[in-house]
Amino acid sequence: MSRSRFAPAALSAPALLTMGAVLLVPLVSVAVLSFRGFDFDKGILPVWSLANYAELANDGLFHEVMARTFRIATIVTVLCIAVGVPEAIIIHRMAPRWRGLMLLVVVGPLLVSVVVRTFGWMVLLGTNGLINQGLDWIGVPGTPFRLMYTELAIILGLVHVMVPLVVLAVWASLGRLDPALARAAESLGAGRVAVFRRVVLPNIMPGILAGALMVFCLSASAFATPQMLGGRRLKVAASMTYTEFLNTLNWPLGAAVAVLLLLAILAATLLWTGLVERRALRRLGVG
Amino acid sequence: MAAPGFPAGDFLVLDGVARHYGTVAAVRDVSVRVAQGEFLGLLGPSGCGKTTTLQMIAGFETPSAGTIRLEGRDLAAIPANRRNIGLVFQSYALFPHMTVAENVAFGLEMRRIPKPERTERVRRALDLVHLSHLAGRFPRQMSGGQQQRVALARALVIEPRLLLLDEPLSNLDAKLREEMQVELREVQKRVGVTTILVTHDQNEAMALCDRVAVMQAGSIVQIDEPWRAYDAPADAFVADFLGRSNRLPVRAAKGMAQVGGHAFALPEPLAQARGEITLAIRPERLRIRAAQEAGLPGRVHSRVFLGGFWLVRVDTAAGDMMVMVQNTGTPPAAEGEAVTLDWDPHSLRRMDAAAPEPIQGPIQAPVAAPARGAA
Repeated sequence: MSRSRFAPAALSAPALLTMGAVLLVPLVSVAVLSFRGFDFDKGILPVWSLANYAELANDGLFHEVMARTFRIATIVTVLCIAVGVPEAIIIHRMAPRWRGLMLLVVVGPLLVSVVVRTFGWMVLLGTNGLINQGLDWIGVPGTPFRLMYTELAIILGLVHVMVPLVVLAVWASLGRLDPALARAAESLGAGRVAVFRRVVLPNIMPGILAGALMVFCLSASAFATPQMLGGRRLKVAASMTYTEFLNTLNWPLGAAVAVLLLLAILAATLLWTGLVERRALRRLGVG
Repeated sequence: MAAPGFPAGDFLVLDGVARHYGTVAAVRDVSVRVAQGEFLGLLGPSGCGKTTTLQMIAGFETPSAGTIRLEGRDLAAIPANRRNIGLVFQSYALFPHMTVAENVAFGLEMRRIPKPERTERVRRALDLVHLSHLAGRFPRQMSGGQQQRVALARALVIEPRLLLLDEPLSNLDAKLREEMQVELREVQKRVGVTTILVTHDQNEAMALCDRVAVMQAGSIVQIDEPWRAYDAPADAFVADFLGRSNRLPVRAAKGMAQVGGHAFALPEPLAQARGEITLAIRPERLRIRAAQEAGLPGRVHSRVFLGGFWLVRVDTAAGDMMVMVQNTGTPPAAEGEAVTLDWDPHSLRRMDAAAPEPIQGPIQAPVAAPARGAA
């Protein structure tokens, strides 16, 4: 009896300890760091204070950065759903031999380093980039447009990175969908729109919601893409943390930004799962 | 059962229907007339084209050739969602995110039936399948048999012109399947809807259907009432597919046949046969006699008790013969015992003839079987 009770704990202990060591310890030390003081001459001060949070609360730049971070994450999420869901459905309907190939094309970008892909966008979006050259060539007035170092550039880059996540999540739920459901609905008099809205969509909703959550969290905490496409002026929370740590060397303040970003994402996640996802899942009997 | 009282009529007519995929023909040439209120079975092994035929009637597949008419109207131009045909799927295909009541109401919603009438019709449909008390459940909270009944209610509530059942009972266990057969037949009778059942299970088809159409390789081999197809199979395929049968290779001459030293008179339809021919006989038509009596001598190879009857295998000069012996309280001859086999010559069918033309059994067939001994 006791064996069966303790076996699961004992067996999962190594994994739990490893996870704790590599995840929890750094997180806690960042959190601790955010309560320390800072002096430009003396460095980190061994005191406990809320000074960093107080500073951020009154810092207009920080508010702007947080607003931008979540604005970008929201827009990217919406765009990824708008692109990824139809994409998954279209690929799902393809003949099997095309399906595999197309899925590979979709997932392909995940196999390329983010930095390399983002450099690709820089080549396209630059003042002398391909897009401006093309617009100039077909005679669009007002070229070159400033595309680099804009929120548009960051959003484009992030959508490109994140769309495969939505496609894969929706793909999985489409695979679980009994193809007879659509036919059953049709035989009961449903047209194409009704079949999709009343039968297909509710059943792939868990995939869409899970994909949306993944995209939102990863976009809100993204670093490389906003850093490269947004440049020095257009900061998001992750790149602001980076600057505080490595340029200003104000580690406690950087830690406070990181903690606030984490809490904001956590709050958004809990709100999302609590309000939207759980309801959808309960309806399907998975939650 | 011989002449069921259907109004004569061509309620559903399939005329030369075929479906090709590239060079492969899933359905070659299917022609069948179904009367209003009839329960027709499409029976055959997997890959015989029965499901494709059903899909074409439902509107999910387009025939490569031929026409399908329902009440005289060509269905070709009518999309699946306008055909008003009820469907029950093998997987039931209940909408997992809707309750039982919502599932059943779906077809009525699509028809924009006002709420009060909708509720009332859903209630009646659930009453019909004895599930009113589970209206608020989700499909996943129900057993297979209950889900099956929801699927039936959902298909019937729209008052379809035609009900199509695609292997509806094959996911149920044996006992439940028998119960559902009875219930399905009762509901169909009560509602009076013309029904087509696709199945590979000959017992199911025989138990449920007014007529069965036995299909092989994309064509209908025989359409008949179940007992007639069983007793007078059009060819060896039908004979073997509908129940079991024994093969009896005999030498025939002058109205007499000889096998393994046993000679017997051939009945009228077979009296003209000459030379080496193969006859077939059902296991329940063979009788086991004591060794010294006249008949085909043999030795009991094995016997299996099946409750209502015994299945006895007898080695004879004509080969291994299966005999079904009704259980009357006394076990039949034991293993190793010498016996003779005897039969009524009228139970014999000739099986080696060139495949006869498919028999289109008339719905209002004369009581006397016209197609006996299809040789």
